[in-house]
Amino acid sequence: MGEYVSVFVQTLLAVALAPALTGFICWLKARLQGRWGAPAWQPYFELRKLFAKELVVSQTASWLFQVAPFVAFGTSVVVASLVPLVFVPMASDRTGDLFAAVYLLLLGTFFLALAGLDTGSPFGGMGSSREMTVVALTEPTVALSVFALALTAGSTNFGEIALRTLAQPESVLGPAHVFGFTALFIVTLAETGRLPIDNPSTHLELTMIHEAMVLEYSGPYLALIEWASSLKLFIFLALAANLFVPWGIARTLAPLALLGGLAALVLKLLILAVAVAVLETRVAKLRLFRVPELLSASFVLALLAVMSTFFVR
Amino acid sequence: MPLVLLLLPPLVASLLAIAVRRDTRLVGWSSVVLNGISLIASTWLCTGVLWQEATIIARNDFWRVDALSALLTLCITGVTLLASMFGPGLDSTDHYDAAQIRRFRIFVNAFALTMLIAVTTNNVGLMWVMIEATTITSALVIPLHRTKASVEASWKYLLICSVGIALAFAGTVLAYFDFVSTAGQLPNALNWTVLRDAAPSLHRELMQLAFAFILVGYGTKAGLAPMHTWLPDAHSEAPAPMSAMMSGVLLGVAMYAVARWKVVVDAALASSSFTSNLLLAAGVLSVLIGASSLVIQRHYKRMLAYSSVEHIGLVSVGLGLGPLGTFAALLHLVNHAVAKAMAFLLAGRILHRYETTEIAGVSGLLRVMPWTGSLFAVGVLALIGLPPFGLFVSEFLLVRAAIATGHVWVAAVALLLVLVAFVSLLNHLNRMLYGPVPQGVAVGERAGWRVIVLAGCAAVSLVLGIVLPWPLTMLIDRTVSIVTP
Amino acid sequence: MDGVFAQLIVLGASGMLLTGLIVLWRRGVPAYITAYRWQSWLLSGLTAAVGYLGHEPQLYWIAALLFLLKGIALPLLMSATERRFGTHRELRPYVNTEVSLLIGGVLVLFAYVLTRPWMAVTELPTRGGLPIAMALLFISLFIIVSRKKAITQVIGFLMLENAVALLAVVGTYGVPLLVELGVFLDALMGFLVMQIFIYDIHETFETIDVEQLARLKH
Repeated sequence: MGEYVSVFVQTLLAVALAPALTGFICWLKARLQGRWGAPAWQPYFELRKLFAKELVVSQTASWLFQVAPFVAFGTSVVVASLVPLVFVPMASDRTGDLFAAVYLLLLGTFFLALAGLDTGSPFGGMGSSREMTVVALTEPTVALSVFALALTAGSTNFGEIALRTLAQPESVLGPAHVFGFTALFIVTLAETGRLPIDNPSTHLELTMIHEAMVLEYSGPYLALIEWASSLKLFIFLALAANLFVPWGIARTLAPLALLGGLAALVLKLLILAVAVAVLETRVAKLRLFRVPELLSASFVLALLAVMSTFFVR
Repeated sequence: MPLVLLLLPPLVASLLAIAVRRDTRLVGWSSVVLNGISLIASTWLCTGVLWQEATIIARNDFWRVDALSALLTLCITGVTLLASMFGPGLDSTDHYDAAQIRRFRIFVNAFALTMLIAVTTNNVGLMWVMIEATTITSALVIPLHRTKASVEASWKYLLICSVGIALAFAGTVLAYFDFVSTAGQLPNALNWTVLRDAAPSLHRELMQLAFAFILVGYGTKAGLAPMHTWLPDAHSEAPAPMSAMMSGVLLGVAMYAVARWKVVVDAALASSSFTSNLLLAAGVLSVLIGASSLVIQRHYKRMLAYSSVEHIGLVSVGLGLGPLGTFAALLHLVNHAVAKAMAFLLAGRILHRYETTEIAGVSGLLRVMPWTGSLFAVGVLALIGLPPFGLFVSEFLLVRAAIATGHVWVAAVALLLVLVAFVSLLNHLNRMLYGPVPQGVAVGERAGWRVIVLAGCAAVSLVLGIVLPWPLTMLIDRTVSIVTP
Repeated sequence: MDGVFAQLIVLGASGMLLTGLIVLWRRGVPAYITAYRWQSWLLSGLTAAVGYLGHEPQLYWIAALLFLLKGIALPLLMSATERRFGTHRELRPYVNTEVSLLIGGVLVLFAYVLTRPWMAVTELPTRGGLPIAMALLFISLFIIVSRKKAITQVIGFLMLENAVALLAVVGTYGVPLLVELGVFLDALMGFLVMQIFIYDIHETFETIDVEQLARLKH
């Protein structure tokens, strides 16, 4: 019982904190570029503004257009409840595992891509096809990089994986961890539309991938989609942090442990957010036909990570 | 003592060429004399191996000259002597400048030195180092005339052979790894004798893989198909004496390395079927590619080079056919060295006179250069495998060995391909010997000492075919007992 | 202690493999030279680590030689050559990047399958590096075969040598010193000769694109 409540609270926390993470990254990028930057809670104001605005739906759009934002947001929320954020899940049969999480996220992206096509706008179609190209290359990598850890843990359950790493600290030095983490970091950037794959703050339609897909959305729908994408970033970064560097995660449901877990999560997310911001400031956006090269490289990295689990047997 | 006399002269010759900058005939002739000393030393070694019935070991097992090594040193020193006699700078009609002549002398002697060390050392690691060094020293001589073709040929040679040699080193490391895992780290673990004695306790799969790497690696140096692609280019673009050395003995040294490892791997696997099958496959493929490429040849030096591919394929087939085949293979190696060296040196003389490498550009050879022409005909006939020359005897023994060990198909295929080579080479030879004299080619030739030397080579090939002197037979017998114990 | 040693070795060797993959991924020659430099640094670091943790003091000398020769001297020479003869235009290789990377992955898989029986043969804690060394060997061969510029083929060959050196270090804690010295000498000489040839090719052909070297056919 206590665990269900904890999971619920944890999910609410994730949903609540996700925009702050995105805002922090924007603020840090601005500071690094010498600007003052909007404060880290600016996205909350944006969400409030969008929820108050009028909803405009194209006449040529179908039911898909109306459903997609809810699917995207809903799947992100469900995955947030599956991933170990603050504490390690206790009972292994009631919590999710790797494949459920990956494919739920993919479901959300899939619906958004369809919605991009739905209105018949050319930019929407272009954005959807680009997004699908990127996603087709990143999905196997996401699965493989976590699979490398799952192989050593003997199970695809997130809890087991985190516990196994805690039990064998020196495995963090191993290539499975290092390569898996690098591959997962690269695909995080790809899936959440960050530089060098996609520029989240671009206004030029021809350079957009994610933004072009959702160009037709307005008002509350747009708010839901923006929230869903920041939640996706939150989940990916938290997954990377808690699976590969699990120290600090709460192993019991005691309040002190949970607070410690929360603090550890916030710290790890801050570090990763700094890394993302610095990287975005330093690299230029890749030309579109170079993106598959980067993603193939990350795929081979993930493959190497899986192979490495066999090397050190 | 004979070992020192064997190895020191090429070293001295090379150093002399480095030290003396002006092109003097003296340096060239001293190089010839020094190589002559080497040849005498190697015959001394051969007789030593025969009479004493034991191998010559020096400096606690580091240098070791047994029958196989002695046989090869004989070939190497013989062909090196020929090459230095025909090298640039000893004839006033050469068109090489002083820098090129000096480079030739330095690196040809260094080349000979590295080959000699490779066959007389007991340490397989050092053998590898020396064979790698042969690639480097010979690659610097090939583009003596810097043309687009010769630069391309030497680049291909350097790259492909270096890659092959690196793979051979991987095979060596694998075998060493296996040895160290079973017997621990011994100080002289890379000695061939130590490896051979410890072989029965090594692991099967690992040694099989090691041999595969070694065959691919050293086989690249030997010109076995499908790693032979550098051979026609390098051997045809190099100056004639260098081609003679490379075709005649370098291929033989590479096969020596393969044979040494074959002994170790056979002992490890307790049967020679794995190595024999691989050698047979590579050999038959080489003969096939060599013979079929001869049909459409348009350049006579490339023709001789593809003939080398074919012959080294036959050597490989012989090594894969047990004791009888090994005897035939080693005899073939000796015969081929003599005949091919002579043929390349004659090709050099033809190139000098006609100034074209194309077969179509050379005609009326018998009228233009009667001595060279007739000796060239003798050489090509010898290479075809016609009696009474030596190569006929060794090919015959090879076929007999194939039938005796039950590989009748191999014998049939080999004979067929030799026939193809026979017809093609004879056809090309005919076009070169007869026909009208091309414009601008001087007619007539003096029978100088060079012609006499080359006639001597032809005589040696004849003797090997008719008589097969018993010291040589005994030496090769001894060698066979080393390779197939 | 043993566990950390093994992990470190596998991590270092994997880093070397990664630098080999970088040559398949990136397109400019300066990036290749940097990748080779990192690979040689990793190799000398690994050799020193094996020397320390495996109690083989002679490996320190070899590590130092490796660092000086392959980590500093060769990359400097190559950069100088590239500055003189580089076309500054990236050439498309025979196999494009994505397919190259996938083939690289397949080669790693193949190397692992090939070396599985060897892991059981030895008791050394460094045995985890064996499949990685073989994988780097195959990937270097692939680089040599699939790239067009002469200097890239040289880099592929140098990586092949690194792969065999890695094999020697993790499989047998290095080969005897004499052979090691001979190998160094050969590597240095071979590299110098290759540099001479790149100069020659440039002088004669005015490019170092080896696709131009196709005159000699049959």
